[in-house]
Parts: sequence; structure tokens; C-alpha cells
Amino acid sequence: MKKIVIISILLFSSYGALSAESAPCGDYGECEKFSPQLENLESLQLGAVTFLNNCYGCHSLQYSRWNRVAKDLEIPEEIFSSNLVYGQTVKLGNRMTGSMDKATAESWFGIAPPDLTLVTRLHGSDWVYTYLKTFYEDASKPYGVNNMVYPGAAMPNVLAFMQGQQILSCKDIPLLASNGGVKRDELGNDLTEEKCGYLKTISGSGSLTESEFDEVIYNLVNFMTYVGEPSRADRERIGWYVILFFIIFTSFSYLLFREYQKDYH
Amino acid sequence: MSNQSSGIFNWVNDRLPIKNTYERHLSKHPVPKKVNFWYLFGALALVVLIIQIVSGIWLMFGYENTEEGAFASVEYIMRDVDYGWVVRYMHTTGASMFFAVVYLHMFRGLMYGSYHKPRELVWIFGMTIYLVMMAEGFLGYVLPYGQMSYWGAQVIISLFGAIPFIGESLELWVRGDYYISGATISRFFALHVVALPLILIALVFMHLVALHEVGAGNPEGVDIEKYVDEDGVPLDSVPFFPYKILNALVAIGIFGIVFSIIMFFFPEGGGYMLELANFEEANPLSTPDHIAPVWYYSPYYAMLRAIPDKLGGLIVMGAAIAILFVVPWLDRSKAASIRYKGNLSKIAMVIFVLSWLMLAWLGTMPVTALRTTLSQIGTVFYFLFFLLMPIYTSIEKSKPVPDRL
Repeated sequence: MKKIVIISILLFSSYGALSAESAPCGDYGECEKFSPQLENLESLQLGAVTFLNNCYGCHSLQYSRWNRVAKDLEIPEEIFSSNLVYGQTVKLGNRMTGSMDKATAESWFGIAPPDLTLVTRLHGSDWVYTYLKTFYEDASKPYGVNNMVYPGAAMPNVLAFMQGQQILSCKDIPLLASNGGVKRDELGNDLTEEKCGYLKTISGSGSLTESEFDEVIYNLVNFMTYVGEPSRADRERIGWYVILFFIIFTSFSYLLFREYQKDYH
Repeated sequence: MSNQSSGIFNWVNDRLPIKNTYERHLSKHPVPKKVNFWYLFGALALVVLIIQIVSGIWLMFGYENTEEGAFASVEYIMRDVDYGWVVRYMHTTGASMFFAVVYLHMFRGLMYGSYHKPRELVWIFGMTIYLVMMAEGFLGYVLPYGQMSYWGAQVIISLFGAIPFIGESLELWVRGDYYISGATISRFFALHVVALPLILIALVFMHLVALHEVGAGNPEGVDIEKYVDEDGVPLDSVPFFPYKILNALVAIGIFGIVFSIIMFFFPEGGGYMLELANFEEANPLSTPDHIAPVWYYSPYYAMLRAIPDKLGGLIVMGAAIAILFVVPWLDRSKAASIRYKGNLSKIAMVIFVLSWLMLAWLGTMPVTALRTTLSQIGTVFYFLFFLLMPIYTSIEKSKPVPDRL
């Protein structure tokens, strides 16, 4: 018990400073920006298809219900249950508790694949979007891949068949002088330095082009953002009406206040 | 008909002081004619208290106070309960807004000397409300049982362990178990929804009764009781109802706009109101990288961390709150309001506000050596504002306070 407390205090005094202030997307640096389109049903539906076909085998969405997703995404229930709901025993009112037994999963992966209902709220959609795009081949890892955002992630690159092989490559970067200009040698040639750690996709090795793959990931993360807070689109819509109500309320109460103030001013 | 209804009214009024209370606290309660917007935050605090009680009751319909069910039940409210998200965001936004308006209300008191004789008790009841609110907010923060709930509770409960002799047993008694568990959740739940709200309501009642006994202050620090008409009503006053309640109504409208913008568009408040780490269920085996409190505790958390010794930090943090209680006796100035106090008071006030804001920022940030030094400097200035108050308020020359508003 005491140990946990000491560890926690040590964590927020020293280690915390390092990790919390390192780049938000790990080795990748700043995350790529992601702005969700929660009214774009087509994108959400395509994202749901990608999720249920590729992610749901291991990851649950345990706080979400099947029929809520069908309803919000405007997918007719028959089409939804015959194409996207796997398992004969699943009722549409059930929660999406995943199809993998937790204990088995733990023995397979060393750690049970986490539930993803709230992952976009926990890490942010930017983070998830960048994470899914930054797997690269690394023969030293058990699944042959590593991730730039989350180094050592215990997850295979499930979407590699679409993206193709992505590797870390090196390229020549111009050396910059302290004044911001490019350094040159005596002959006037630009000086360069080889730097590594750049992601490069081997073209033709996946079933999709780079922009097609980006779109698949966009739709997937858009869907996951929706699942993180299914009422978000409603919230932002209703918000305007509530604010409008208070503006009218304030105006009328101000007029009343001004009228009464004449009595004593 | 009107005869009949006035008959019923009289019958009740003979047995219950309706008319008297209405006149004493509303239609004939004199309040200063001229006050500024700083005097509206008390009313807003009352509005938020009501929001918190009502939304809290609705949350209880769906919340489950168990280790296994707490986190999932919050998501159940957010997803499966119709407009449950409205109720929950109202409660979480309300918690932050409660502290925001109370801090502004307290600052008004410091600025205009609202604690001056005869309002010392009003101030003390107010400070007690603030103290209970801090406990209430902490208990409530643990209930969703996310990662930050768990680890925040871990840090705060462990503070009890720093108390000499009884510390360890006290810590165990507060936690109800050897580690944070269902036992902790259910006692925190009982305290959060029953015990502390009851105390809070009683204190708010006392705060208002005491206020109505001595009358409200004003930004000039003028004693309006000096000049009264033949009925004993202060000349510079107007009845609270209907006149001054309209100020509050306008304030509520504007507050409603601000509240809705946050609640509907920024419910997480950038991670300062709903911490993102709390979107993950509590996990005793994994400590978050950075344990930070929500914004309204951060100045005091910065003080706690500024002191290398745990017990010392606890004492400093406690003293920072405790010292507020005795402000009425630290201020020796003849003028209540900052408007008529001398330059020393004005400078001290500016330094105090700046160091409070700096501490608030530092409390949310991960620790570095520089930040620890800054926290220590901020803590020193925070205390100097109060400890030196008897000196600078008595040596400085205050301007004469006018007779009338």
C-alpha cells in the first residue's frame, strides 16, 4: 500500500514530468489533426463496417449497444444484423461486448486487447488517427511490426493488407546553419546529413492507395469518435437552442430590470 | 372568491409566518441601492447549488455505487438514459461553475471588505461552505471511478496517513479498506449525496440568515444604516423584491449563456473540468503518468507539492484555507473597501491575485525544478498577503469613506 503511494508521488514528481511533456504522439511527434464529421452518415457507416470487420474480433465496444449504432447511423436493422452483427445469439439490444474471451486473449497477446468505446475520449481522436497510420515493419517485435505513436504496442498491424508494407526509412536532410540557411561546403554544394525514422510505404504492396487508405482510417476514427460519445452531435445541435433561449431570457429580464430601475434612480 | 382565498391565506398565515417572512426577507428587506456586478455571484452560487442538487438526484437514478458497476453506470447514464448526458454534463459543468462563482464571490469579499464588522459571521459561514464544497467536490470526483478518480483519491487519502500517531488508522478508517475499493465508493457516495449536502444546505441557510440580520455590504464600504427615514429604512436602500431580484435575473441569464456554452460545446473544459484520464476505468495496477487535480483545487495542490515533506505540505495546504477564516481580524483598516484603502493594500491585493493564479496554473502542470521553486514563491506570497495584513492595513493611510452611497 505504502509502496503504491510512494510510487504515485514519485511518478508525479519526476517521471510524470518526462512523459506528460514528451510529444503527444510519441516518436511521431505532434499528432496529425483529425476533425470529426459526426453528421456525415456515410463516413460513419463505412467506419462501422471497417471496425466490425477488422477490429471487433479482438476489441469490444462494451458500453455501446448494437441497435443504438444501427439507429444513429441510420442502418436498417435487418441489413445491420445480417451483415454486421456476428454471432447467432446476439440480440440487437445487447451491448457490444466483443467476441474474444478475455482470459484467452490475455494468454495469446500477453495483455487483453482493451475495450475501445472511450479510446477517442481518453487519448483524443488525433492520437487514434495517427496511431493507426504509423505501424511499421520491425522484425524484432513478436508481430513483426512496431508503432511510432505507441512504441512496443502489443498489436499486429491488422490493416496492413490495405496499407501495404510500411517501413522506417532514412533520407538526406540539408544541414542548417545557425542563421537558418543551408550549410554548404567549400565548393558550394549543400551539406546534408542522413536522418532516419521516416515512414515510407512500399507502393503497390497493399490493396489501397495511400489516399484511399487515409480515407478508410478517417472513416474508422470518425466512427470511433461517434462511439466515444454518441450524443455529441445532439449535444452540439441542442446547445444552440439553449443558448438562444438564454439570450432571449437575458434580453427580457434586462428590459424589466431597466424599467424597475427608473423607480430609484 | 378573493374573500375565500384571503380567508385561507389568513388561516395559514396565523399558523405559519408567511407574510412576515416575505416582508422581512423580500419585499421590505433593504439592500444597498448601488452595487456592482461583483455582488451577483452569491445569487449565482445559490442557482448552481440548486442545479447540483437537482441534477445530482437525477444522476442517482442511474448511478451504481459499486466497484464493478460505478464506471459502467456512468456510461449507462451517458448513453442509455434519455438525455442522461444532459444531466451528467450539467452536474460536471455545475461543479466547476460552482467553484468559479464562489471564488469570484470570495474575491468580492476580500476586495470590498465584506467581512468587516458586523459581517464577520457571514464571512465565517461562507468560508465553512467553501471548505465543505471542497470535500464535496473531491468525494464526487471519486464516484465515476475512472483512473483519475482512483489515483486522485489515492493521493488525497494518503495525506491522512501523514498525520502523526493516528495517521495510519485514520487513513484506513477513511478508506474503509486496505486499498481503495467498493467500500470506499459506497461511503463516499453516502457522504457525497446525503451528509455533505445536508450540511451545505444548513450552512447556506445560516449564511443567508446572518446576512439578512446585518444587511448586505456595498462596494463603497458605506454603512447605509447611518441615515434612515422615519420608518427606520436606510435612505440609500431599495427593497430586495422586486428591485434587486431583477439584477439577479439578468445575471442568471448571462450566467446561463456561459454555462450552456461550456456544457454543450466544451464539457471537458480542455481536460481541466473532466480529466481525459478519467475516461478509463480505475486500474490499481497502472498509475497515470501525471496526477493532476481539476482546476479548482490546483492552487492548493501546488502548495502541497511545493513542500518536500508530506506532513509539512498537508499543514501548509490546511493553513492556506484556515487563514481565510480569520481575515476579519487581520484587516485593521478603517475603510472596508479597496477603493478607500491605501496603496499598500492595493499592491498586496494585486500580488495576492497574481500568486494565486500562478499557483492555480502550476497545480495543473507536471513538476519540474523551476515550477517547484515558483510554487514555493507563490506559496510565500499567498501567506504574506494575510500574515502582513495587520501591519500594512494599520500603517497605511486610508482615504475617508463617504457618508452616503
